[in-house]
Amino acid sequence: MVSRKIYVCCGTGCLANNSYEVYLRLKERLENIPQTEVQTLVKSTGCNGLCEKGPVVKIYPDEISYFKVTVDDVDEIVEKTVLKGEVIDRLLYFDTGLKKRLRSHRDASFYKHQHKLALRNIGEIDPTNIDDYIERGGYKALEKALTMKPEEIIDEVEKSNLRGRGGAGFPTGKKWRSCAGYNDFPKYVVCNGDEGDPGAFMDRSIMEGDPNTVIEGMIICGYAIGAHNGYLYIRDEYELALKNMQKAIDNAKERGYLGKNILNSGFDFDLEIVRGGGAFVCGESSALMASIEGNVGEPRAKYIRSVEKGLWNKPTVLNNVETWANIPLIILNGAEWFKKIGTEGNSGTKVFSLVGKVKNTGLAEIPMGTTLRQLVFDIGGGIINNRPFKAVQTGGPSGGCIPKEYLDISMDFDSLSEIGSMMGSGGVIVMDDTTCIVDVARYYMNFLSEESCGKCTTCREGIKTMLDILTNITQGKGQLEDIDLLLRIGETVQKASLCGLGKSAPNPVLTTIKYFRDEYEEHIINKRCPAGTCKNLTSYYIDHEACIGCGICSKNCPVDAITGKIKEVHVIDESKCIKCGTCFTKCPRDAVKIGGMKVEA
Amino acid sequence: MENNLNNYENSIDIIKEYPQDKRYTLAMLQDIQRHYGFIPREAMEYISEYLNLPLSHIYSMATFYKALKLTPKGKHTIKVCSGTACHIRGSETVKDQILSILNIKPGETTSDGLFSLEVVNCIGACALAPVMVIDDKYYGNMTPEKIQSVIDQYKGASIYG
Amino acid sequence: MEVARRNNIDIPGLCYKKGVEGQGRCRLCLVEVKEGNRRRIVSACVYPIKDGIEVTTTTDEIINMRKDIILMLFLRSPNNEYISSLVKEYNIVIPERYLDKDRKDDCILCGLCVKACQSMGTSAISLVDRGINKKVSTPYDDASKDCIGCGACAEVCPTNAIKMTDENGKRTIWNRTFELIKCSVCGEYFITKEAYDHMENKLDEEKRPICDHCKKKAIAQKFKESFVNIS
Repeated sequence: MVSRKIYVCCGTGCLANNSYEVYLRLKERLENIPQTEVQTLVKSTGCNGLCEKGPVVKIYPDEISYFKVTVDDVDEIVEKTVLKGEVIDRLLYFDTGLKKRLRSHRDASFYKHQHKLALRNIGEIDPTNIDDYIERGGYKALEKALTMKPEEIIDEVEKSNLRGRGGAGFPTGKKWRSCAGYNDFPKYVVCNGDEGDPGAFMDRSIMEGDPNTVIEGMIICGYAIGAHNGYLYIRDEYELALKNMQKAIDNAKERGYLGKNILNSGFDFDLEIVRGGGAFVCGESSALMASIEGNVGEPRAKYIRSVEKGLWNKPTVLNNVETWANIPLIILNGAEWFKKIGTEGNSGTKVFSLVGKVKNTGLAEIPMGTTLRQLVFDIGGGIINNRPFKAVQTGGPSGGCIPKEYLDISMDFDSLSEIGSMMGSGGVIVMDDTTCIVDVARYYMNFLSEESCGKCTTCREGIKTMLDILTNITQGKGQLEDIDLLLRIGETVQKASLCGLGKSAPNPVLTTIKYFRDEYEEHIINKRCPAGTCKNLTSYYIDHEACIGCGICSKNCPVDAITGKIKEVHVIDESKCIKCGTCFTKCPRDAVKIGGMKVEA
Repeated sequence: MENNLNNYENSIDIIKEYPQDKRYTLAMLQDIQRHYGFIPREAMEYISEYLNLPLSHIYSMATFYKALKLTPKGKHTIKVCSGTACHIRGSETVKDQILSILNIKPGETTSDGLFSLEVVNCIGACALAPVMVIDDKYYGNMTPEKIQSVIDQYKGASIYG
Repeated sequence: MEVARRNNIDIPGLCYKKGVEGQGRCRLCLVEVKEGNRRRIVSACVYPIKDGIEVTTTTDEIINMRKDIILMLFLRSPNNEYISSLVKEYNIVIPERYLDKDRKDDCILCGLCVKACQSMGTSAISLVDRGINKKVSTPYDDASKDCIGCGACAEVCPTNAIKMTDENGKRTIWNRTFELIKCSVCGEYFITKEAYDHMENKLDEEKRPICDHCKKKAIAQKFKESFVNIS
């Protein structure tokens, strides 16, 4: 008697590609199959991480993974794979590195280097079904923790060397120990689910795809520090995460994992979701707490730490979603087990969201110590169209850019801070030669100027001034003294701002000037954007010596601005050119070159 | 989405779902936003009364949190993601194309009341960059060429129903 | 900040006012603090005083930061008298290309007016919006029914940014016009009716409106009389 399970990814990414319809159609078709032939079970799961190749459908126990599945494929999947265990080649993952199709996603270079801890259940369970979680060891850590002394739990977390996965990497155990030491009640446990870094979606994936692991982690902390109430602050934009998290809380309450006298231990703990209102600054811990209290998200200077005076001025432990997701594993398997993964001082794994100009965009959970090169090229598959690697931005708007000289850097908290960037939430934005680094700096300043709460002078006015300067530069109005002005104002904003947002805001600007000063100067002196992004500073022309007259450029030009006969040098009519860059990317001989701003004669 | 043209008395029921505690201010505002598509002044006054908080505090909250709008939106809300991944993959040209087709700026509504345009922060669907969301539907891997046909779908629907 | 001021040590601060909890908004009061092995830059109006900390109020680094902060304030309010005087005092060079000479915004968002209004119990104004668009206003910039026209906000503003005009027995402030009432002793206009009623409710005072000047005289007179009665 054959039994098969079919998992359809219903994370936000795949949902955007109609995976829910695929799920419904599969369910419908399988209901019509007599259970004597094959026993089937269809589940909708959370995000598998490779959203670009979605919808993703996996069949167990055969370990067959299908990608880019459409509703039209369902009948064939049922006939061939579900009923007969046959593989449909065209739906398999095509690995560009190995240049062949793979039966299971686990063999894909994107997945095989990963070590899933925080993401261990996602894609394998229905997040709205608590039994799926329990079946895979869920809430065993809580059971164990309730038999331990609070002191023992804090010891274990401290020994494990787990560091905050939200940004700064503060030692989690130390934070808990600090808070437990204050004799001031009530105490609170908070989850920072306000994942605001643009380009980061690991927390979304965990909250949508495995909400119970976060809940379990928080209850364990509550028990360890003596708190009976917890709050999950979830970003307004994450509709599905809010929904799945609430369902999980309701389920956990029903089963006695939340509420009064949890598992007969005498310990009470309750969780409440607080929905964000669309403010990046609320990802800053003191602003987040102000928001929970019913105020605007203005941070406070943290001379007195939140572990001493946090929510409603009471001792509070605030941790990031991914940090919470690691707690159950540390309690179950022990600190020593956790320390074996990763490097000295940087234990465990980190979930990175690899996005931008990289072939395999998605979430990758890797041991700390993996190099940037491995992440971008082995896992990511390298740059799209094999263009040259330029830099990555890590840590979002608070982080810095890393140029190719540091491709062999170890992805861990300490190494990244040493070169002026930071781990941040784990967003890794990959850039190639067609990305203008000055424009990237301008983009981040623009983002931060809209997200600044406006409380302190330096952040509010300083970022605006830096944005004005950068905008001038990208429009051809820059002057050399602007670079020094950026550095000077940037330094003051870093030192004088009240909170982390302001203090780290200049980082993208300062690091891009540090590693790509020549690109800034090119914009200013030669009024030219070498990446072809700043339209005012870009003009395209064809190099006579390199052009072979193949005509690919003129065929693809959307405004017919290129003329030339076959096998003869082609010419771009600049008056018609809209600078879309299509000819530049399509030319097989790199004969299209980027000139600078055209000065009116 | 309802549009009570009188004095938004429905908001009182929405507000009463919550205890009279300051910390529910944002939640109340969010519910009102979802119900009316914006925050009517009257609703702010009801909240101010219910929670015994100054109107100025409620107004501060409503203007600080960008999920809340003070003016009504169009029938369909188009959100263009401005996250880094989307930006690097060309969200600016997608946005420019929408601006030229609809003839409105971000934050505005078309004169026929059909579309409101917003540029929003990262939606979290970065692997599908550039991303556009209309109402609840996600459109990934957008290019300027695809936009007209997507918008036409919504225009067409309104003519017939 | 308190300790410094008591000892006549000058730490500049625009958003600081004695009696009001330190806000940390303007950033001018930054000083260097050494606590144990740790040395960092903090805002003097918020940092908690502890036994044994070492505070340095002027270093090259701090002066440079102050100059940059004043520069930022000047770019925001180039036509403000007070800020302009700070620019002269600290000898700051302004990058003219980024100066918009026509900007008329005198408010530096110190938030003291909001605090003053809160302590009056009226909370008619608040900090609205965020980032560079942040401003102080009444809801919708409309005349507020919570405003009593007391003028506490205008009085406490360090840059004179709040417009209050008293003319012909009327006071206009925050887009609302109030009737002023006269002192029953000297006959001068001194307070709005709303503010008077508001304070009367809180203080349980006499029913005759008296301006501050005359009130002081009346109290002094009472003291004088009581001394005479003793002897």
